[in-house]
Amino acid sequence: MAFNDSYDKRVFVKHKVCRFCADPNLKIDYKEPKTLGAFITERGKIVPRRISGNCAKHQRILGLAIKRARNIALLPYTTAKVNTREYREY
Amino acid sequence: MRHYELVYIINPNLEAELLKEVVDKFSDIVSKSKGTVVEVNEWGKRKLAYEVKKFDKGYYVLLDFCGHPTVVKELERNLKLDDRVLKYLNIKLDDDSDPEELISKIQEKNAGKEVEETEDSTKDEDIFSEDNRDSEEE
Repeated sequence: MAFNDSYDKRVFVKHKVCRFCADPNLKIDYKEPKTLGAFITERGKIVPRRISGNCAKHQRILGLAIKRARNIALLPYTTAKVNTREYREY
Repeated sequence: MRHYELVYIINPNLEAELLKEVVDKFSDIVSKSKGTVVEVNEWGKRKLAYEVKKFDKGYYVLLDFCGHPTVVKELERNLKLDDRVLKYLNIKLDDDSDPEELISKIQEKNAGKEVEETEDSTKDEDIFSEDNRDSEEE
């Protein structure tokens, strides 16, 4: 029963709370790559809201902060670093 | 006056004196073009997340200043010209702010830190929130 299956799954989904709403002391700042690092994937992509559980407002602010941090080389745009080095040798 | 925050990366292989010269140069440009330097914070040598001009390390400096848009124009012109600067990022924090107020705030913050060094409960290190583009708390 397809309907029942999907219903059952929905019951077990944990409700995620925005970390920045829960803790007002947590600041989003592009100068602190450590806090931003929790919201990027291994490849350097921004983690979507449906996974991180952030609220829309904080996700927007966070996205801007990550992009700024990338600009000033505090966070990577991508992690294809190995390849570029190899190419340079030839 | 507008409140700006500039982060720039200097060539890490320069000697200490030369580094200081570069830092002073940009602070001077701000004050010469009728701006006010609020804070200069040298973060020191850091690893870059990706290579910039074939460097994998850089010397980060944060320059917090107030001034009119002409200051920014002059600063950015010089930043582009200077070979020793690898990269920079300038952000407007506030459209209308009083530099003296900001300076006293920073001094207070530093004084507070020295007093309450034992309980490092202060998380107010960043008084500049990221969403300052649409919020004006000052």
